[in-house]
Amino acid sequence: MEAYIFNLLNLIAIYGILAVSLNFIIGYAGIYSLAHAVFFGLGAYTSAWVGLNVTPSTFVTIPAAMLVAAIVSLVLALPALRVRGEYFVAASLGLQVIAVTVFSEWKSFTGGIGGVLAIPPVNLFGAEIYQPREFAIVSVIALLIVIAITLALVRSSFGRNLRAIRDSESAAASFGKNVPLIKTVAVVISAALAAVAGALYASFISFINVESFMLDTSVLLMAMVIIGGTGTFLGPLVGAALLLILPSAISYLSFLPQTEIGALQQIIYGLGMTLLMIFRPGGIVGRRSGT
Amino acid sequence: MTSTTIAHGEPLLQVRNLDKSFGGMKAVDDVTLDLRAGIVTTLVGPNGAGKTTLFNLITGNLARDSGEVEWLGQDIAGGKPHLIARRGIMRTYQDLRLFDSMSVWDNIMSATEYGLLPMPMSSAARHRRKERIEEVLERTGLSDKRDTRALDLAYAERKFLSMARIMATEARLWLLDEPASGLDPNSYERFLKILRDDREAGTTICIIEHNLDIVIGISDRIAFLDRGRLLADAEPDTVLNDPELAKIYFGDQS
Amino acid sequence: MLALQLAVTGLQTGALYALTAVGFSLIFGSTRIFHFAHGATFAIAAYFFYFVFQAGFGTVPAILGASAGAIAFGLLIYWLVYVPVQRHEGSFFTVFVASFGVGIAVQNLLGMVFGRGFVTVNTSLSRSSEILPGLYVAPLAWVAIACAIVFLGALHLFLRHTHTGMALRALSDNPELVRIFGLSPQRISAIVFVIGSVLVVPAAIITSATTGLNPAIGHHVMLISLAASIVGGIGSVYGTLLAGLILGLAESMALLFVASQWTEAVTFAILFAFILIRPSGLLGRATAH
Repeated sequence: MEAYIFNLLNLIAIYGILAVSLNFIIGYAGIYSLAHAVFFGLGAYTSAWVGLNVTPSTFVTIPAAMLVAAIVSLVLALPALRVRGEYFVAASLGLQVIAVTVFSEWKSFTGGIGGVLAIPPVNLFGAEIYQPREFAIVSVIALLIVIAITLALVRSSFGRNLRAIRDSESAAASFGKNVPLIKTVAVVISAALAAVAGALYASFISFINVESFMLDTSVLLMAMVIIGGTGTFLGPLVGAALLLILPSAISYLSFLPQTEIGALQQIIYGLGMTLLMIFRPGGIVGRRSGT
Repeated sequence: MTSTTIAHGEPLLQVRNLDKSFGGMKAVDDVTLDLRAGIVTTLVGPNGAGKTTLFNLITGNLARDSGEVEWLGQDIAGGKPHLIARRGIMRTYQDLRLFDSMSVWDNIMSATEYGLLPMPMSSAARHRRKERIEEVLERTGLSDKRDTRALDLAYAERKFLSMARIMATEARLWLLDEPASGLDPNSYERFLKILRDDREAGTTICIIEHNLDIVIGISDRIAFLDRGRLLADAEPDTVLNDPELAKIYFGDQS
Repeated sequence: MLALQLAVTGLQTGALYALTAVGFSLIFGSTRIFHFAHGATFAIAAYFFYFVFQAGFGTVPAILGASAGAIAFGLLIYWLVYVPVQRHEGSFFTVFVASFGVGIAVQNLLGMVFGRGFVTVNTSLSRSSEILPGLYVAPLAWVAIACAIVFLGALHLFLRHTHTGMALRALSDNPELVRIFGLSPQRISAIVFVIGSVLVVPAAIITSATTGLNPAIGHHVMLISLAASIVGGIGSVYGTLLAGLILGLAESMALLFVASQWTEAVTFAILFAFILIRPSGLLGRATAH
């Protein structure tokens, strides 16, 4: 039971990092990406590869993961500079589908469908951390650091620049703001932070495969942000916690047939998303609706 | 921003033979015009005369077909809008384009900062910026609304916020696109005072305006555009008393 | 000969994509509802057909069952999900998440009821015969192409020549105008959902007899529909039709150059390139901003 609670806490912290970093571009720059799981995956695969082939030190694996995700995110920045709304959603979705194919086929890096096994645990100055309880300290601290970084950015001139661009790109440019550069940097930061979650996930679970980085995950993350409340600080965390606890809670209902638990979880999760959009479209923490 | 000094009344921005057409229709047709330092030039003309298009060509929001735009002797035509803005040419929009989700204070603050990443500022500089924004709020009558979201402001307040953003910058040339349209006469005085004070402080202003009270109240020069062509560029009296221009402007109403 | 074989297969796939994508495009174009659960409609129609057919009731009742399932689902999701979401000025993304949630629920529900494995309906029409040396075509390929021509032709006549069809085309431009003509926008929207849902039925049935079904099929179909409606130009029914055919052909012809695992990536690479280079699509008039 205790291990179960800490496992859940670790997952909430990891998905919390993903939701916070996604909210950074959704809530402040108005960039609704359906490709966030790509950067989660890139972070996981990169840190696993570095951990297995170079050094298990977390001080190397995480920066490497961030770097790779940051570079690849430039591909996502391209459509973000040119199109908005459903066009950008479709572009990010296209990137997500392409990435899943690459993750499944690039066997030397991702292990193909089978995935990567025996990924070394988090290693801080030679100390290995794999117990869920100790790992929880690491994951929660990482979450707090990610929150602190995004909070600092959002409250600075950079955050004002982002919101200004979201509200009116032309006016922002008329006050000297380099719109493409600012948007690109926002996408890069968001992707790099998602890679942190990927690196933590890989070293915590010690096994990864493409299943964790598919479109469903990207939509789950978007749902966490929207259900929690876009552009708020608590929102993505509440959304992440809710969408992770909700399905896992029903596995305790003993009268349900064990073989159908997975499907029932998915059904509850799917309908939960729908019902929340009907009754709380502005999010649980959100102040306003429908922006 | 460039800090080249230039004498009062000398050309700050020179438009030379500027052309722009949209699908065969000439929106700006061979316009040559000087915007002189420290004075207010008013652009007048019927709707569709090409006034806003001229602004868009100067600020880089639109690409010209041919012609030059010289700023302190340097050709800036074809430059990107944000780089032209950084030279000291800033504008307002007829449809305002406020940062609607942000507070009045953040709107003004954001207009003054364009660095990619937050710059370290000395506390003195921080203090000066705060003072400047306070002063702008005071002059536009928005002091009580500083924490209100731009979207929630009344119409006139939105117009003044659009002015406040440009007032807080270090811009040397303001291009104002119908900043007073729809204002009630009570707001005219506040608006004219802003323009006069800033002209006094050395700002060069070019303003598109329809309201004759405002045109007469503020103009040092009037440039008259019709169907993309510059028909006159002279002292207010000369332009306002020209019967030909009056006929174009007022049509059959006169 | 391989190229010709792939072209015929591609045409068959493309005809099915076109039918599904046009339904999605019609719904999105006229109601601005991003109906991601359109793929769920497809899966429901296919499984209803499979169920009635396997139970031994024959082809016609199975087709009726599939149509009834698709229409009922289309109307229910419109009234129970989209109308309430749009009541609070539901943004594009709230509609999207709500719709996606329904898609997940349907997929898992189908899995619980019908099993998660692959199932195929066996008919004599799915058996291929050699019509030219080395060219094998199943009669279903012709059925697919004929269905696409008949259904899309009927849609064309409906949109051009009926009062409702014209109101429907006006809906995306100006809901007020529709009201002035004495029609309720909500009623027209409901009609759009019925039409869009009916269009997937032939595609779903033919798919159940050719490539087979699993509960996740709706997902793939939805992605293709989305890609086709963007490549064709958002809101352009004819562009989407063309794009559906092109994507079907591209997916099939890509096998000349890449392994089959990569075909989906090829489709989405085309989509990605279109958004970057020509976001208004093949025949779209709307611009991206």
